[in-house]
Amino acid sequence: MPDATIRAIGLVIALAYATFIGWVYARQPQNAAEVAGGLSASIGAYRVDPQAFEDGLGFFRRGEFAAARSAFARADPAQQDARTQFYVAYSCYRQGWGRLYADEALFTQGLEAVNRAIAHAPGGRIVVDDMDLQMRSGDELKAELEAGLRRDASNFNPLRLLRSRR
Amino acid sequence: MTAAREAIALPITFLTVALLGGLRISDRVALLPPPLFALVLSVLLLALLVRCGALAPERLMHPSRSMLANLNGLVVVLAVFLATAQAFNAATPDSGMPRVLVNIAFLLLLANTMAASPDRVRALRSLLVVFGSAFVVKFVVLSALSQPAQGVFTRAIQMLFEGVTFGSLTQDVPRPLNGYVAFFTLMLYLFGLVLLPPGGHTPRSDATSLSRA
Repeated sequence: MPDATIRAIGLVIALAYATFIGWVYARQPQNAAEVAGGLSASIGAYRVDPQAFEDGLGFFRRGEFAAARSAFARADPAQQDARTQFYVAYSCYRQGWGRLYADEALFTQGLEAVNRAIAHAPGGRIVVDDMDLQMRSGDELKAELEAGLRRDASNFNPLRLLRSRR
Repeated sequence: MTAAREAIALPITFLTVALLGGLRISDRVALLPPPLFALVLSVLLLALLVRCGALAPERLMHPSRSMLANLNGLVVVLAVFLATAQAFNAATPDSGMPRVLVNIAFLLLLANTMAASPDRVRALRSLLVVFGSAFVVKFVVLSALSQPAQGVFTRAIQMLFEGVTFGSLTQDVPRPLNGYVAFFTLMLYLFGLVLLPPGGHTPRSDATSLSRA
């Protein structure tokens, strides 16, 4: 093979590898599925498993939130799909919501998921067209999760007992 | 040096070091970019490599070479720079007084090696010792000191040690896998340095010719 060809191939490989390394350092994926999903999403080839998503949605509507998250994780293993991550966040919110206090671990998990949803949504705007939900935008859900995690004087307001889950 | 080595083997070797040098595996997988001091050390080490003849930049980038060949050379130089920074990152303790001390030790050792003007082989041997020692300090000595003690006596000794050092020496205990990854990374880095195109002369021979004159 001529030297020029080897050099050109080497240059392309090195630049692609360097780009991959830069991407990995910027995105900090946690497992191989996230690496593969992130790379395929960056070229627009990432697809959510529709059957697993429907399963998750079914569990979510029946109030089986842990099972719903499990199915959503199967549907979107790389956590790249904004809509799936929105539902993951919503399931954390509904399961963790309490009249007296919120489950901090679930709300934190939910906040991470809604942040992912917002990050992956076009223009950072996620709106889900689902009549069963009282909060249909990522911004509303994020504000609600953040409010649940906040510790201030309003936590002692007795009127909190009258509020309802959304 | 063959085109395949310069265009493919060297960039891949050093970029792999750059990738793995910042890898930290705990409950989460984290990829740490090189700290600023590692970049400073990287510049110093590159200067040392050029000075001792372990790296001949003119054999990588020169007006007499084609544009494509010069681009390959530029990629190699940049990859060596990043890999060096990440090799320091991998060999340096993650926090506390040991991090400061090891960084100072790196700086002094590099300055000392540069002042000694060794030839290529001696400089590479010196780097093997420098990185090897740092690896042992981080993954063997500090790791052992930071491990939760098993027996009462050991625990008492450890508490005494922590008290004397104000807890500034103990580190988060790294998972064993981190040590294996760091070992592989440093060995790969040193292997890559051996593959670099050497210079035509060494400072030692210059000194000899000067003394003869």
